[in-house]
Amino acid sequence: MFLKLSHLEAALLFAVFTSIVMGIVGRDTDKERLRYGLYCFGCFVAAIFGLSWLMYLGHR
Amino acid sequence: MAKSKTTPDSKKGGVPSPDQWFVPVFLAWLVPGGGHFYFKRWNHGGLLLFSVAGMFLFGLMMRGRMFEPSDGSLFDVIVTYGGFLGDLASGLLYFLATWLGYEQPYLASQVADYGTKFLVCAGLLNVLGMVDAYEIAVGEKP
Repeated sequence: MFLKLSHLEAALLFAVFTSIVMGIVGRDTDKERLRYGLYCFGCFVAAIFGLSWLMYLGHR
Repeated sequence: MAKSKTTPDSKKGGVPSPDQWFVPVFLAWLVPGGGHFYFKRWNHGGLLLFSVAGMFLFGLMMRGRMFEPSDGSLFDVIVTYGGFLGDLASGLLYFLATWLGYEQPYLASQVADYGTKFLVCAGLLNVLGMVDAYEIAVGEKP
């Protein structure tokens, strides 16, 4: 089985798994964990789109 | 139950004894989330297991390559040994994959390249889980 994902899909998948772990280990209460996990995911998504646009504009 | 296995004395500055943390940290390395299961933190252990195993399995399905230590230039040594340690940090997942014969030659594909990173990062996420289990064991984390 060869899973063919696009760059965006692979990066989003990476962001989901990493955010879950960072949320669990990064804070002390469940509410803080949820907020921190979502914050990390948001940062990943912002970085993905930001760097993608940067590379797109850099190669024009 | 979990609190009875922690020792708040470690907060006073002493070096925690390996008796306190070795078993949960070893379990956390062997099975992702194992350290949290040891402290009966089922939800957190389950989420760690889901994340680490999920990333590892996606890495396999993307035909990621396992690193093998090799000598050569300093850069090669750092990359291959570092990658090997990252793969090894996944614990039982790594041993199962290699024992079951998973071996992937180099593929010129961005998906396989992502897969290689996924395999290493699964190990690195497991290291975070091990550190968390250590902090719980020595009483640094509630």
